[in-house]
Amino acid sequence: MFRSLRKPETQSVSININGQTVQVAEGSSLWAAMALHGETQTRLASVSGQQRSAYCAMGVCFECLVEINGVPNQQACMTTVEEGMHVSSQHLTEQSIAALHQKESADHE
Amino acid sequence: MSDIFDIAIIGAGPGGMSAALEAAQQGASVAVLDRKATPGGQIYRDVTQSPLLDPSVLGREYTEGAELVRAFLEADIDRHQNADVWHIGENGEVLYSQDNQTRRLVARELIISPGAMERPFPIEGWHLPGVMTAGSAQVMLKSDGMVKDGAIFAGTGPLLYLIVAQYLRLGVTVNAVVDTTPAGGVGRAMQHLGGALRKPAYLIKGLKLLNEIRRAGVPVFRHASNLSILGESKAVGLQFQQDGRTHSINAGHIFLHQGVIPNLNMTRALGMEHHWAEQQLCWTPVLDDWGQSSIPHIAVVGDAAGIQGAEAARHAGRLAALKAMNKLGKLNDADLQQESSANLKAIKSFKAFRSFLDAYYPPTPEHRIPVATNTLVCRCEEQTMGQLRAGFEQGAKDPNALKALTRCGMGPCQGRQCGHTVSELLADWQNKPVSDIGYYRLRSPQRLLSVEELSQFQNIKPVQKPAEVSA
Repeated sequence: MFRSLRKPETQSVSININGQTVQVAEGSSLWAAMALHGETQTRLASVSGQQRSAYCAMGVCFECLVEINGVPNQQACMTTVEEGMHVSSQHLTEQSIAALHQKESADHE
Repeated sequence: MSDIFDIAIIGAGPGGMSAALEAAQQGASVAVLDRKATPGGQIYRDVTQSPLLDPSVLGREYTEGAELVRAFLEADIDRHQNADVWHIGENGEVLYSQDNQTRRLVARELIISPGAMERPFPIEGWHLPGVMTAGSAQVMLKSDGMVKDGAIFAGTGPLLYLIVAQYLRLGVTVNAVVDTTPAGGVGRAMQHLGGALRKPAYLIKGLKLLNEIRRAGVPVFRHASNLSILGESKAVGLQFQQDGRTHSINAGHIFLHQGVIPNLNMTRALGMEHHWAEQQLCWTPVLDDWGQSSIPHIAVVGDAAGIQGAEAARHAGRLAALKAMNKLGKLNDADLQQESSANLKAIKSFKAFRSFLDAYYPPTPEHRIPVATNTLVCRCEEQTMGQLRAGFEQGAKDPNALKALTRCGMGPCQGRQCGHTVSELLADWQNKPVSDIGYYRLRSPQRLLSVEELSQFQNIKPVQKPAEVSA
């Protein structure tokens, strides 16, 4: 587990990560907030569907893409937590997107 | 809705902040756009608002940055944080995304300072959860006070030893240091010893870090080679060779590092001229002594201009600002020369010192140019060395052809994690110098953008190159 050495007087905000409401330090990066709650899976690899996690934590690897308030492809490491934020690991893959398109065109017929 | 500034600066690290301060002091109207929530760049990340009780454990090179950040925050500068630039176009137009909206500004002169990133470390399993960079350990510590016990630190270079020492000072346990610096460092670096002796304080600091690690009793495996990550769906350990023997150490977390390289995407998307810097083994924009690039009115400073470190970046930032003032007609040629001389001299001595470091801590070929066919080169599109090799054999001899054929470099990171590897692989396979191979052709937008945001712009023109202007 990651652990925090943050000074104790920090204020906290409440966010929801993968369905669970947790208290996290105000001003935290979303990646840190996730990692401190054991939620280290960010996105799935787009071709193989394998689990991925943050690699660089500074915005250049794009491994930490997550869904924030329903919007996918957001970099957790570049996002500051905000009260009431809803976050989930991203499950978009080439396969899931293709399935979505198939369903859409079937619905139109 | 658009503002016109004398000078716009992109990136608020030491280079960008120094440029902004100098320009503001000289009376220019200055805007600074920075991608992070707070100024400081990676090096001075959150230095004025550290989450740690005692930030001095991070060392003086970090805490000394507070003064620059405070001066920057107090100066008459139009500062924009969380401003992610995705396009720089003709006539000094800059488009940036902020709060899910694109905003625009225009400047007569541009100084860009997009900084450095860690060199990719393409070994087997480097994509697995549990593998991160040593730089990430430092980022997490500086901004969130977050640490990981029991990790292995592997690779080479001063940053690796610095973060291990910082962890130990904070009581964070370190499983092992696996050092890939090849034997014979002194011999390799001997011709640059003069450069090292110009910065004795840095040299002593480096030796102290190594002593600190040894005294703490952390196992250090020197001259390690052929690293690979163990694990199927996540990292479970590190395997390597030392003195002809294969070792493996179990650990759920491994931090890798083998130096830093310029973060190229902005300078490349601008179509700036670059060259392959043999000493630093990376692409670097072609610049004059004041940071002026091949594109009129655009200068590059800081580590994006070639890795020289934070102090050199401050000198480079000031130089670019002086030159911009000169071009704006606000500083005459004689004053420019006089004002510049101390900074030009200082940069020379930092370059000499860097030559020593580059020679002493080289990223070894086996960790830059993968030999195992199943090593992922492009993490986003999951292209292995073997798949790229097959593409090459089908006729894709340059990075753009290989990209078109295999999709390498087409994912969300826009080639940041595979570009250098692909250039070096193609050079290696054809037995050509990397400079003949080139790099991916990049374009705006330089960030992930929603279609909604992009659709606000129907007429996005690239920057004009001198040849096109005169034609």
